[in-house]
Amino acid sequence: MLSVYYGDMADAIYNTVVYFKNTYTDEWITDDLCKKMILDVDKSTVLGPRIIDSPVLGGISPRELSGGVKTLICIYKVPDKVFNASACGDNCAKWLLEIGKRQDVTVNLRHLMNFGKDAFELKILNSGQIVHTMRELLPIAGMIVR
Amino acid sequence: MKGSYKVEVANANLKYEFVIRRNITIIKGDSATGKTTLVEMIRDYYEDGEKSGIELICERPCRAVGGRDWHLILSVLHETIVFIDENNEFLPTVEFARAVRDSDNYYVLVTREGLPNLPYSVEEIYGIRNSGKYGSLKKIYHEFYHIYGKNSYSRPLKPEVLLLEDSNAGFEFFQNLAQLGECTAVSAGGKSNIFLKSMENSKKRLLIIADGAAFGAEMDRVMQFILEHDNITLYLPESFEWLILTSGVIVLTLEERKMLSVPEEYIESKKYFSWERFFTEFLVATTNGTYLQYAKNRLNPNYLHKAICDKIRLAMPELGL
Repeated sequence: MLSVYYGDMADAIYNTVVYFKNTYTDEWITDDLCKKMILDVDKSTVLGPRIIDSPVLGGISPRELSGGVKTLICIYKVPDKVFNASACGDNCAKWLLEIGKRQDVTVNLRHLMNFGKDAFELKILNSGQIVHTMRELLPIAGMIVR
Repeated sequence: MKGSYKVEVANANLKYEFVIRRNITIIKGDSATGKTTLVEMIRDYYEDGEKSGIELICERPCRAVGGRDWHLILSVLHETIVFIDENNEFLPTVEFARAVRDSDNYYVLVTREGLPNLPYSVEEIYGIRNSGKYGSLKKIYHEFYHIYGKNSYSRPLKPEVLLLEDSNAGFEFFQNLAQLGECTAVSAGGKSNIFLKSMENSKKRLLIIADGAAFGAEMDRVMQFILEHDNITLYLPESFEWLILTSGVIVLTLEERKMLSVPEEYIESKKYFSWERFFTEFLVATTNGTYLQYAKNRLNPNYLHKAICDKIRLAMPELGL
């Protein structure tokens, strides 16, 4: 399940881009879920572990992926660490939920990410509550972050 | 620093074009829209100038700042447009807010976090989109767009409850309007309480009135809450004093009217951290010694006379007050 801690979290990795740059491996990039996330969020196609076709930037390396997709990959590939998911835009929300369906992960959010209109399952660690809609989430998380 | 500045920055593949109008501009929105690329291009141009292969056109110097020594760099920058990318943990801190307040730079901050220590306007929160303007060329054109559309958060209704950020003169004025319209006025006692008070009154037809000039940090959570409730409307004039000044109750000179239409050309950012302070000072000075002499802490009762009150009320006809 996806668990979220809202607000300041001392142990969370805030600069996810630096962490990704210094830890990613070829295998991360060619993983099926990572390829899907890169295609959906960055509109870019993984051609090989070290070359990605971006419609805006041309041929790029994994280091030039967006901060949002780098953070998603870190969350998926290093589930024992907590990352600052506020580096992700709302277009990453469905992938956070997807990762949470596949494995237990905890992320740190410092803003109110919009998880969309469909029902979802997410645990707010600050209060221990499990929420299923934005209408349930907002009164709890909105009192912690802006 | 004052004035508005057009920034054009381009390389072989990308072009960004936008105008910065106030001391604080926020860029947020979806991932992969080019926010970090913009800051990197500003940084590359600073380091290598035209030899970077980047073209940057702006009347003011542009700098990208980040990392542990941010405060040292900011302390030597003047009349500069400073770009700071997300992943800089100092952005929400009090120290950074003080540095912004005490400087004469303009700041463009890439962040999704609300920054409650900084009084930024809802009008200066942008996303970046590909406009397709140069669609027939190879270069992809990026422009800024308002994250919160100017009219998207104003839905007309006959409110049962008026929730006001203000607790002084503005509150007294709207409390009077509420009594005339047979609704209840509630003061939130500050913008950070608007979210909680909105939840407490969410079963009623609720109209929230706050100062748009400094409501930026609150906007995301309040807007998301409103989008879940059809019975709540948000009205954000620049400030109560701006509302009075633009309503026509005060006779203004041509120069003063110009000041209201292009305030960025007159407001020195180092003196006025937020535009609402400028409008308050402007109204106090303009009405000094007249029957409409204004004080923020207590409303001059002359503002409650029917003719004056009606004129200010009619400046916001869509609210049904």
